[in-house]
Parts: sequence; C-alpha cells; structure tokens
Amino acid sequence: MIFLFVLTLLQVKVPDIAEAPKGLPVAGAMLDQRTNEVASLLRCPVCQGLSVADSPSTMAQDMKHQVRELLARGYTQEQILAYFERSYGQFVLLKPKFQGVSAMVWLLPIAALIFGAIVVLSKAKQLEQGPAEAAPADDPYLARVRELVEKQ
Amino acid sequence: MNRIVLISGIVIFAALVGVLFLNLGHDPSAIDSPLVGKPAPSFALKAVGTGETIDVARLRGKPAIINFWATWCGPCYLEHPVLVQNARVLGNQVQFVGVVFNDTEQKIQAFLADRGSAYPTLLDESGKTAIAYGVGGVPETFFLDRNGKIVAKYTGPMSTEDIQKNLAKAMK
Repeated sequence: MIFLFVLTLLQVKVPDIAEAPKGLPVAGAMLDQRTNEVASLLRCPVCQGLSVADSPSTMAQDMKHQVRELLARGYTQEQILAYFERSYGQFVLLKPKFQGVSAMVWLLPIAALIFGAIVVLSKAKQLEQGPAEAAPADDPYLARVRELVEKQ
Repeated sequence: MNRIVLISGIVIFAALVGVLFLNLGHDPSAIDSPLVGKPAPSFALKAVGTGETIDVARLRGKPAIINFWATWCGPCYLEHPVLVQNARVLGNQVQFVGVVFNDTEQKIQAFLADRGSAYPTLLDESGKTAIAYGVGGVPETFFLDRNGKIVAKYTGPMSTEDIQKNLAKAMK
C-alpha cells in the first residue's frame, strides 16, 4: 500500500501558523510567565474543565509546548488563541467570545442580577410602606377567632 | 411593577431554558470540527516501520481517511480490525492513513505486528499534527475528498457503516 504514496526524502513537516508573527519574540523568565498566561486561557480538550496550564495530560503538555514555541517566535496571544480556535473551535477558549449564543453566557448572569435587584427593591419598598391594608375591626371571622381564644 | 418583574422573570427563565434546550441530546465529547469544509492541514511524518517520510499533501487525487489513534486507547483496539478490513477492500479507491500520537514507535510496531496492518501508520511525535486537526481524544477520523478538503469528522470507534456513510461524502 505504501507504494501508492509519493515517498519523499523531506524532513518531517508539522502543521504551522500560516501568518507571520505580529509581536516580538519572548525569552527567559518572561517566556515562562507568558506561556502560563496564554495556556491558562486554553481549555485542555481531554480534561474536565481544566486549562492547558493546569492539566498534567500529555495532550495539554503538547499544547503548552506549542504555545511556548509560538511565543518564542514572536506570535501574539491573539494569534496563538486564533490558531487553536481554528482547529478546535470556540470550545478551546476558556473565556467565551462575546458573540452568538456565547454572548448569552455573559448576558444572562447580568440579566439575572438586575432582575434579582428589582425584586429585592420592590419588596423592600412594599415593607417600607407597611401592611397593605389593616384588617377591619368588625371582621366577623376575626371576632369569632378572638372569642374562641378568650374561652380557652 | 409586579407585571414587569413577572415578565422579566419569564424572559430570563425562557432564555435559560432555551440555552439548555439547544444543548439537549448533544454529546459533549463530540465536538463539531471547525475544519469541516476546509483544506486539511498539511503534514509530512515518518512512517512506523519503514522510517520513510510521507507527505500527506500528496494524497490528493483520491479520497482519504486519516485516523488518529494510539496503542493506549481501548476503543482503538475495537476499531483497528474494521479499518484494516475496509482498507483491504477499498484500498484502490481510498487512501487510508493512521496517525499515532502520545505513543512510542516500539509499542506501535508491536501493536501492528500483532493485529495486522493494511495502510501506512505515521508517528506524530510532537503532537502538533493532532493539535492542528483539533483532536481531543482517540480514535478520531477525518474524511478528505479528492481535493484534500475535510468533508467529515467522526469521533469514537467506527463501524463499517460509519466508514461508508462518511466516505460517501468524500466520494462526491
């Protein structure tokens, strides 16, 4: 079967970012720090809710290594996140983008907070105004209850 | 005031139910690939056993199946004979390629010697090819048309029916 391929004597070639770096190469302690910062924005695809920075899985380590390599070559955080997003989709971003259905993730908690505040304020206002209406003194039901209580 | 609060509550509740409903029945492990409909990322990796470098960009001209797997993956043991059988039957019409990552050549060779092989298996040592294809677990399989465009992705071990169903898209 292998003869069906056009065998080449080329070196191993792995997929890479097509565009040129837009930033400056990072090195040393700054490279370690930036690698962790960018890796913490990426979701480990084989874990349950762990970032690439936090996951001990080999897959996450490979991704972290690639983040480090790209930063060292001068790629910006935006370029690196976009590269991973092109392969994995928005799923790989731990901080969802403010667009489409993902916008609901941002908007719904704010809407729920405003709604809760309105409910609390309206109830507080009602309490300030006192009981809505005092029971009439000549209410036959209350008179009967009082009578029964006094008898006991 | 109470009516406004009630309506607001209903709207927020409906939105929450809507978001949950959208994801109802959706397998969280089956992530839609944004690569479907796009050209397959190009790579050239060394074939296990021969050590020859195989450039997958040269596969164009016939539909291809790129299967990501590993020897430590349980479901891959179930899928392997299915792929080998299909490759033997469809070998002239479809190019099958296996890509193994997070693994060692020694283990892969032992696996293939034990369970048979009918197509090239490439070793992705750095894991970069798997990352470029958005692989989140193994096995995962990509179906390419004759122009090298990804037409389908399958997550999990495939049956012959799964292969045929997805291959039909690549044969168009």
